[in-house]
Amino acid sequence: MLDVIRERAQGWLAKVILALITVPFALWGVDSYLRHGGDGAIVAKVDGQTISKQEFNLALRDQKERMRAVMKASFDPTLLDKPEIRQAILNNMIEQRLLAGGAVKAGLVVSDELLVRFVSEIPEFQENGKFSQSRYESLLRAQSMTPPAFEARLRQSLMIEQLVDGLTTSSLLSNAALDSFVRINEQQREVVQAMIYPEQFMPQIKVGMDEIKGYYEKHKEEFRVPEQARLEYVVLSVDDLTFQMTATEDEIKKYYGEHVAQFQEAEQRQASHILIPVAVKAGDAEKKAAREKAEKLFKEAKQSPGNFAELAKKNSQDPGSAANGGDLGFFARGAMVKPFEDAVFKMSAGEVVGPIQSDFGFHIIKLTGVKPGKARTLAEAKEEIGLELRKQKAAKRFAEMAETFSNMVYEQPDSLKPVAESLKLKIQTSPWIGKKGGDVALLNNAKLLQAVFSDEGVKLKRNTEAIEVRPNALVSARIVDFKPASYKPVEELSVELGGRLQRELADVQATKQGEMALAKLSQGKEVSELKWGAPIMISRQAAGTLGEAAVGAIFKADAGKLPVFTGVHDTKGGYLLIKVNRVVDSGHLDDAKKKGHAEKLRQLLMQEYYAAYVASLKQKADISIKNDQLEKVEH
Amino acid sequence: MATYDLEEQEQIDILKAWWKRNGNMVILAVAVFAVTLSAVQGWRYYQHNQAIKASMAYEVLQSMTKSDDTKKVRDAAGQIMELYPASPYAARAALIAAKANHDAGDAQSATAQLQWAADHAKEDAVRDIARLRLAGQLLDEKKYAEALKQVEMNPVPAFMALFSDMKGDILTAQGKPTEARVAYQAALDKVGEKSSYRQLIKMKIENLGG
Repeated sequence: MLDVIRERAQGWLAKVILALITVPFALWGVDSYLRHGGDGAIVAKVDGQTISKQEFNLALRDQKERMRAVMKASFDPTLLDKPEIRQAILNNMIEQRLLAGGAVKAGLVVSDELLVRFVSEIPEFQENGKFSQSRYESLLRAQSMTPPAFEARLRQSLMIEQLVDGLTTSSLLSNAALDSFVRINEQQREVVQAMIYPEQFMPQIKVGMDEIKGYYEKHKEEFRVPEQARLEYVVLSVDDLTFQMTATEDEIKKYYGEHVAQFQEAEQRQASHILIPVAVKAGDAEKKAAREKAEKLFKEAKQSPGNFAELAKKNSQDPGSAANGGDLGFFARGAMVKPFEDAVFKMSAGEVVGPIQSDFGFHIIKLTGVKPGKARTLAEAKEEIGLELRKQKAAKRFAEMAETFSNMVYEQPDSLKPVAESLKLKIQTSPWIGKKGGDVALLNNAKLLQAVFSDEGVKLKRNTEAIEVRPNALVSARIVDFKPASYKPVEELSVELGGRLQRELADVQATKQGEMALAKLSQGKEVSELKWGAPIMISRQAAGTLGEAAVGAIFKADAGKLPVFTGVHDTKGGYLLIKVNRVVDSGHLDDAKKKGHAEKLRQLLMQEYYAAYVASLKQKADISIKNDQLEKVEH
Repeated sequence: MATYDLEEQEQIDILKAWWKRNGNMVILAVAVFAVTLSAVQGWRYYQHNQAIKASMAYEVLQSMTKSDDTKKVRDAAGQIMELYPASPYAARAALIAAKANHDAGDAQSATAQLQWAADHAKEDAVRDIARLRLAGQLLDEKKYAEALKQVEMNPVPAFMALFSDMKGDILTAQGKPTEARVAYQAALDKVGEKSSYRQLIKMKIENLGG
């Protein structure tokens, strides 16, 4: 039993659990069992269980962190303001609630005993291969979670796993389904194509100004130019202030003296070792045998230290180092197990000691090199210290100035001059920017842009309040020039629109022509003006340049009587006529390929079973969502 | 001893008389109530205990599925089905055993286990899953009529798409493309907008020609 659990504990479940503790979030819904639903706003209700605004915000925040971690610099935080994303996150939470509720309703139970076994087998909670209560508690505390809360979460995920896993992973493929899946995916069809391009009809089509105007009216939204503004703004930031600060020689010297440890590089030592492994749990006899063997080797090594590498190569059972003659390279304190480290840092160069016992077994150690610790001199560290001191001063100055800054931009709202003069800041001007920002990165802050383009900002050209656009940087801005939203005039667009309209009409012509040709071809008649290409073989998986619609048409074509014709309107314009010459079903597939198909189909089925199962819970449940709570609220 | 006034004395007498007549009944009723209550509690306790045992056994079974040892899986599942047939774990165990048998080439046992799951599942959705897979097994055995019977029973609405899809598979195998198309179309109407399975159903329709 324990082995079984250990095996699983190290598998995917362990990862889930790790995700649970490293990502302290509320997606799992237990919190609402533990807490009293939280007071205040509710986002959704699932069978009487609530999802509070607070929980939803937590889930949002965690999603944000995860996306930031994955997408790095390309991450756009406003992504999470999108209603569909917020809805998806809420759906996920609802799903977890449904599954948890479903597990309870179905009568699934996870006993305390099972839970204890799981927790104790999680490697992250172990020390020296054994469960450690203190490690468990401290790890959880680091995620501000209590053991009962964690255990409740774990119990819930185990129950959900019991509820769903057996239903999906037990998907079995009927041979009939697999055969048809293989046939569908592997079948090839030989086709030739002929394209009717819209361009050939263009010269005959004339469009007048009236038609262009009509077209313009229909597509007007495309030509909307959103409102734009030019701003003047002042920035108060620690970064800028850092440049203005200075640090004297004395200050630098004093700092160096107070932080000596920071400029020390630790001593490093290089050692080789021979390992005779023995497990911590091994019996006395086994330990004794290992010790004797180690003693013997130690004597040999001591007699001829020059042959240590040779000896290690032959006898050491440390797979990482034996081949290199036992060499472990340079390392500082803290890198090796304690008894080993203590021995190494007590020896002198060239000396051989042993056998030293650690959790791995017995070591015979030779010290081969010492790099003494070294301190960076004041001169070497001067620049770094100077910068640090200037930063500290700037931060202090920033704190002093921030309040004045905030007050002045607010109290004299019609100009930035007073604040700029009083705090010696520069008034800067921006190029035209829109509601969504522009070329000045500093100003692309949602809160700032919203304030700038608010009624007050546009009509009265007021200063915005002091807004922290990023940590330690305050900005206030006001509009100096404003262009309201407008539409590009039709006159400016007439050439472009004329061309577009002409092509659209030509496309209609081409399609008509194509459909007529297809009808004729299908009746067995010739259509002389078509230029057929060379025959090519395509399958659903290798369709070359053909689009989805064309592939669908080709494989939909009735293969009963060949050749058969079909056609589709091309998304890029024009009409594509296709003639299917022959159909080649897959012959014998090698096992690997067949397995690949089976696995793919199984995945598809598993997903569909899961989706259907969750849907079945959903259909029975009473779910209400408060849409107004779901939306992002601007503060 | 205080003396009762007349009225109180009268009431006490009435009470005494009543007790004489009905006392035994009351005691009996209380006793029955107590016995029932403890029986219910005991039953609940027993049920909970059984569920815990089943849960433990199920954990073992789940981890065995990774070992590919068909016999072990079959035995572990059989035990759950036998000892805890009323638990939600039993039908799940049967499904797992059916897959193990199917993968090992023992179609007959797989069919039997799926039939068992379909008959004994306490949850409708689980029953429907069993029926779907049973239909697939019967289809492979070319027992088309029996296979169709499985998917012609009404599932919970969420499983309608998969049922219709299976019906399409069976009808295709029977050489009835027109009816199969109707079934696949029904599946397409029910399957989730964003489901990847949707694409497969579409391709099956295309594969029928037209």
